[in-house]
Amino acid sequence: MSITRRNIFIYFLLLSSVFIGCKKESSLSNATVVVAIPSDIERINPLFAFSINEANINELLFLSLVKHSWDEKAGDLKTEPMLANSWEWNTDSSSITFDLRSDVKWSDDVPLTIDDVIFSFDVYSDPVVESYLYGTFLCFNTDKDNHIIAEKTFEKLSETKLKIFFAPGSSPSLFNLDFPIVPKHIFDKIPRKDIATAKESFTPVTSGPFMFEKWERNQAIIIKENPKSFLHKDGNVGRIIFKVIPDYNSRLTQLKNNEVDIAEYLKPEDVDELKKSNSFVIASLKGREYDYLGWNNLDKEKHKKNKSIVPNKFFGSAKVRQALSMALNRNEIVSSYLRGYGELANSPISPIFKNAVDEKLQPYAFDLAKAKILLAEEGWGDKDNNGILEKNGEEFKFTLTISSNNPRRIFAATLFKNTLKQLGVEMKIEQVELGMLIDRINNKNADAWMASWIIPIPLDLKFSWYSNLATTPMNFPSYQNKELDALLDKLETKISKQQKNEIYKKIESILYGDQPVTFLYWIDNIVAYNKKIKNIEVTPLGTIHHCWLWR
Amino acid sequence: MKRSLLALSFIKRGVSSVLILFLTVSFLFVLVRIAPGDPAQKYLSPNLSPQLIEKVKSSFQLDKPIAEQYISFVKNAFTGDFGVSYKYHRPVNEVIFEVLPFTIFFSLSAFSIQFLGGALLALWAFHHHRKLLDRILSRGSIILYAVPSFVSGLFFVYLFSVQLKLFPSSGIKSIGTLEENILFLSLDYLHHLFLPLLVLSLTGLPVYFKYFREQFEEHQQKLYAFYLRANGVSERRIYLSHLIPNSLNSIIAFAGVDLGILFSGALITEVVFSLPGMGRLTVNAILEHDYPLIIGCTLTAGILIILTNLLADLIRMKIDKRLVKGLIN
Repeated sequence: MSITRRNIFIYFLLLSSVFIGCKKESSLSNATVVVAIPSDIERINPLFAFSINEANINELLFLSLVKHSWDEKAGDLKTEPMLANSWEWNTDSSSITFDLRSDVKWSDDVPLTIDDVIFSFDVYSDPVVESYLYGTFLCFNTDKDNHIIAEKTFEKLSETKLKIFFAPGSSPSLFNLDFPIVPKHIFDKIPRKDIATAKESFTPVTSGPFMFEKWERNQAIIIKENPKSFLHKDGNVGRIIFKVIPDYNSRLTQLKNNEVDIAEYLKPEDVDELKKSNSFVIASLKGREYDYLGWNNLDKEKHKKNKSIVPNKFFGSAKVRQALSMALNRNEIVSSYLRGYGELANSPISPIFKNAVDEKLQPYAFDLAKAKILLAEEGWGDKDNNGILEKNGEEFKFTLTISSNNPRRIFAATLFKNTLKQLGVEMKIEQVELGMLIDRINNKNADAWMASWIIPIPLDLKFSWYSNLATTPMNFPSYQNKELDALLDKLETKISKQQKNEIYKKIESILYGDQPVTFLYWIDNIVAYNKKIKNIEVTPLGTIHHCWLWR
Repeated sequence: MKRSLLALSFIKRGVSSVLILFLTVSFLFVLVRIAPGDPAQKYLSPNLSPQLIEKVKSSFQLDKPIAEQYISFVKNAFTGDFGVSYKYHRPVNEVIFEVLPFTIFFSLSAFSIQFLGGALLALWAFHHHRKLLDRILSRGSIILYAVPSFVSGLFFVYLFSVQLKLFPSSGIKSIGTLEENILFLSLDYLHHLFLPLLVLSLTGLPVYFKYFREQFEEHQQKLYAFYLRANGVSERRIYLSHLIPNSLNSIIAFAGVDLGILFSGALITEVVFSLPGMGRLTVNAILEHDYPLIIGCTLTAGILIILTNLLADLIRMKIDKRLVKGLIN
């Protein structure tokens, strides 16, 4: 019996040594960087780059006319040449002329030309294709289906010079032209309605500093350097593996085990341990996401019935919303839950936009006494001494809907519930699945909710704060303010950067005063990356941005 | 005569199975559509135009009445076309067949370890009937059964991956390797699947151990066992020819259902070890409101459960001929 046991032990050791041998053989070279991603991508086609990971990967595989980087000092975007060597606006910004590089080829050795650029504008704006940019070409001459009219938009001046005309009265920027160019010779052969499902959307022909190598579904996407690219530099990162690891704990374990080199969205409580290992750089991607308490500003029943604009009996008053904003100890959450990886929010204008924020505004302090006074001014009082405020016979009781899979929001909601009780307001917390929460917010079926916004760059506020609910479906609190509408409209006219920043400050002041929602705090995206990677920049544009520069 | 009656009973069973599957899928078709949320929800973003959501809804046919969508679905389903997955943008059949081979291999491997391991341990324990080893195995199996797989998964990852660095913590093979040698690739798979198989096997092994152990105990007390012993039949023969075959009957019925459920996906193990299996595919389809894929996954799981049950019944009939009679009657 003992001999058998010994044999088993020896076999196990032998097998283990074979396994360890396997691991050594399969270890990756220094030029390979492994990035952990929580879910697989859907396609490798820039036309359908809906998720952040798809956008990141496509940016490395496909060139755009220009590229944008983040100017930390100015707190704004900086435009640099990419596929275009240079560009020139005409005097009234109604057209722009690009001078394109002539040394760029697709990965199948076909030259990238002006025809690819014109084709890209056409196919992105084609309603049949359903690209992620469909409906966003507002500065261009389009038909009734928002499809760009090529004859009115493009003029080919030479083999490398292209003039683009914009719609009269529009105020275009280079950001409207920063999207990956797609290969005409590939997609022109496919019926437009079939591009979304064509095999070319999964095994792409590319033009960027990286080329597609392999996609092992639900496992990894592998891209490798393109030595023919003008962006290629010997010694820089040669291969990037985007490894799909859905479970957070597994991502963390693999990071600690050096099985992955970069992981994002780390929890603040895990940072200390990572710091101890001395193998990682911990960085914060600031100011892209904020949590908020959403208040339905309108009476949802009446609005649903006949679209009438009647203030909500609880949250229709700015003073009540201000009082509620004072009833949550946000500092407590930032210091104890976020452990400092966040900052209090005043408005939807992120502090990263240094020239657009009003630095004089101070966050609403946690002040129950002042909140009580504001509520009393609006007629809320506890006449029957039952501990709950009432007005016109209606007690201040409402339900806050939150998603069940977010411990941070559960923590904040519980804290809020307890302080509201001291104020005489009864709040019930309802935890629902994220899809159900989005459905309720989107259909304006929730009175109060807690969620977050990831803000777009460049700064855009109209999509969520414009009063017209028919054209602004993402105005979830149904906020109405004509003064704000006028300012948002003015931002779309031809005005200077400085004038725009002044308008942003006015907008911030209005939203700060009205508190259509309670802006809670900006949450840092905590990133850890292996010290072996040099030249990495974690900016508001992301971690993977411009990673062909990594060494 | 007997054979044709048996065939008829199987045909009847086949028809009722198809009917059950059809009703399940029809019920699910309506249920997912009336549930809150829709597949176009993920297109709600400041970077996207609201018009795109309407376009997407229209191309998914979500702007049509449910009855119209259902008729179109049934027509296509009869030709084996379950539509295109909203997430993967490829035919549902193709997406499922991509993960099915791994799921079947992984489930069968885990099932074999559970079943055979459970049987061998039960025999070993029974051999030391009411002695220390028997007690240790019995109590140990209860403790093992009480440990959830996400706990054991994280524990084994910590021990074997983080501390001992013997096995990788996730995936089914080394990513990015350029090696094409079959032996290397096979060992690489084995290397990666060791921990997931261990975790998944440990969830079912105590169950089979307990089942076998109790069956052995029960059959040991039966009169035929005393009769055989009284007639001087060897213990080995009693075990191999009588005790084990008789015990197997009820266990195989349970194993048929269990294997079918394993084929539907071992979600927790798949998530902890990032494995591309049916469990993850199904749950992601539900979370993303990928209606065609939800239907496809449910149908596949249903078919596999029916087939494994059928297989279990055939094995049982082979062991015990009395069951054939029962089935015909």
